[in-house]
Amino acid sequence: MGKYMYRDPEPKKITLDEWSMQFRNIDNKTIKKFIYYNNHDWGIYLQPPATFMLYGARELKRLRLDNSLAALRMWGFVFNESERLFRARQSCKKVIATMGDLGTISIIVMAFPNCVPFYPECIWWTPFFNESTVLLDMASELGAPEAACFSRAALAAFFKKAYFPKADYIFASTGATCDDYSCIMQSIEHLGYDFMWLEVPLRRSPARHDTMNSYVTTKNGSRYPRRFEEYLIHDYIRVWEKMVELTGIDDMDLLTASITKANRVRNLVEKIKRATNQATIAPFPALELMTIEFGNLYGYADMDEWIRILEMIHDTIESRVQEKKGVMTEDAIPIAWVNPTADPYLLNYVEDLGLRVVETEYVINQAIVGIDEQMEPFRALAQSFMQASLIGSTAQRISSINKAMRKGRIEGILITNMLGGSHCAMETKLMERLLKDKPVLAIDVPAPFGITEQIKTRLQAFAEVLHEQRK
Amino acid sequence: MELIGYTCPYIPVEILSATGFRPYCLLHGDYDLMQHGTQYARIDACPLVRANIAYVIENKSNFAALVGTTGCDMSRRMFDILGEHTRIPCYLMHQPRTYNQKIHDDEIDYLIDSLSHLSKRNIMDALTHEIDKWEATRNVFRKYDRARHGEPSTVSSSDFQKAATHYYKGELDTIPDIAKKLSNKPRVYLVGSEVSYESREFLELLEVDLRIVGDFVCGISTFLNISIAERTLSGIKNAYHNQPPCIYRRPNKAFYEHIVKQIAERKCIGVIAFTLDYCDAYEFELKKMENTFGLPLLRIRNDYSSQKTSQLKTRIAAFGEMLCS
Repeated sequence: MGKYMYRDPEPKKITLDEWSMQFRNIDNKTIKKFIYYNNHDWGIYLQPPATFMLYGARELKRLRLDNSLAALRMWGFVFNESERLFRARQSCKKVIATMGDLGTISIIVMAFPNCVPFYPECIWWTPFFNESTVLLDMASELGAPEAACFSRAALAAFFKKAYFPKADYIFASTGATCDDYSCIMQSIEHLGYDFMWLEVPLRRSPARHDTMNSYVTTKNGSRYPRRFEEYLIHDYIRVWEKMVELTGIDDMDLLTASITKANRVRNLVEKIKRATNQATIAPFPALELMTIEFGNLYGYADMDEWIRILEMIHDTIESRVQEKKGVMTEDAIPIAWVNPTADPYLLNYVEDLGLRVVETEYVINQAIVGIDEQMEPFRALAQSFMQASLIGSTAQRISSINKAMRKGRIEGILITNMLGGSHCAMETKLMERLLKDKPVLAIDVPAPFGITEQIKTRLQAFAEVLHEQRK
Repeated sequence: MELIGYTCPYIPVEILSATGFRPYCLLHGDYDLMQHGTQYARIDACPLVRANIAYVIENKSNFAALVGTTGCDMSRRMFDILGEHTRIPCYLMHQPRTYNQKIHDDEIDYLIDSLSHLSKRNIMDALTHEIDKWEATRNVFRKYDRARHGEPSTVSSSDFQKAATHYYKGELDTIPDIAKKLSNKPRVYLVGSEVSYESREFLELLEVDLRIVGDFVCGISTFLNISIAERTLSGIKNAYHNQPPCIYRRPNKAFYEHIVKQIAERKCIGVIAFTLDYCDAYEFELKKMENTFGLPLLRIRNDYSSQKTSQLKTRIAAFGEMLCS
């Protein structure tokens, strides 16, 4: 029973109806325990997932979700984000859009009391959860080409002004990273929003005869010129100064505390991933795990509550691992997943085929790595950002997957692309070549309603190859 | 090995040329090359990038080095592919997307250092000579450009582009004279994705019914925006950094200001917006262009192939008729 008047049933993935039935067993006291922004009046968010389906997330009726209270709490919190951001605005917090860097600028923003960062690009899941093309159609009307990243939904969301409140300020990062989102951000600026543009440097390996640059070596072994850190620090100071101007607060100790908090999240997620990936039986589903990883970006707009949720998830996973229980069978085949899928259904479907995701490259490595707390804060942030997924070479990007492959920890690799996405178009064939020792399947994630029998057949064939290979 | 390949108008040709190798801009758009390129990049990769990959791989023995920038994501990632499939030394510069000149200047220093090691030459010693040589060539083209946007226009953009290929291929000694061709056709401005070495037919097609009197297109005349006032390294840095910004610069307000000014100065009455398949930089901006330029705008999207030529002819003719009326 533990902390709550509720005991999790045997682990498995269940439907919305099953969750609604199970939800009846949760007492009011437990429901009221879980609140965002520490507010007992309007901050309660624990609800049966069917509620979110009624509010628009229609894909939930096709999905099966983990049946633990921790997972329920996570989904309640995640689906509540839009409401939470509007509440933030109503309660006089400053809402700051941080775009394009995926995980670092938000830490600076969070250092300021009553400031809430959010990543508008994360709305790319909304068309899929909502089984609706409304945002994508609007993005097209606003000039976004159809062959572009689904994060173009953010352009429509800014235009419609209904998905998140008008940001008090916007920080937009561009440079040696994805072009699609750079173009989307520029289109958002054209709508009349006020931006500060920040530069994302390249992570360039040393030239053989480079005599003029000193290089930094990251923990994973990649190297880059130290001066690239200085460019980032220059921009982080600009962000800090802007936030000081917006809030009237200028206390670097708060940044140190914010980094500590970000590290708390990153450490918890690392522990969750390690426990999950090393377990004999998958203790938690891939869809939930992807949602957990993306929480590293900004804690879904309430870092403190997100930490508490992660702690609960971690406890749940630990206990399942100890009891050798999980949501898949023991013979599930471990695979790596490259690029996050915009359509959550694919994560469910792949598990239905007996494949278990144990290694991921979801383009957010910069939000996964730890931040050095012994170092001057801006430099520490710069060093962590220099490990970003998309700013270096393809070989660097998939180095952890390559390592897992060589150690025999994965038996196949699934790459989920977006048609026209700049890095997808250029990286996929090279990845296939670099990972050629194991079967690789690359698929394009289609727009909502687009998962056809053809795509399912390809996934089934991939799974069959892996199962056959094991025999 | 005589060539040093490069991809971006922010890379100073003077520095490349000072290595003793011939600067060769990668501007290939041949259909067969594009098809070959799909072995290395997906079909939804930029056609220019795919063709360039194939061209370099097919001709790898001709290249002493390749220089690229982060100016465009697909173009930058081309170097990952070429690094995997060839042994040509590749140098990738971080071209800032914002207006941070320090990054640009530092990266030029990095380029000089790298290429000095590669070529075993003192690049700095050769810079003044190279500046004079390239600036003199640009001045020749400036003269043609004045004729191009004169009233009436006496040089066609298709002829200009044909001659300019010699600039882009570093063949400065063989630049042909451009014959005068007077035209009173509707004056239009061309803006958009790169045109390739093989794009002459496309430009000729446009100029059957129109006269392109100005452009902001890599592969035609954007190199004229480089004007080196001070014959030093600092002069090169300033000239290349301060050229009218690429559409990828953020914010891209100055890009629009430059085009609007050119359109007015060159008395254009229409605009052609040319986008290559999967070229986000321009695709995303078409609406903004229509609203900003305030002139009839013809959108043309293709992949350098001639599959849509008949359809294109009709559209261009109709656009010309509309401008005349």
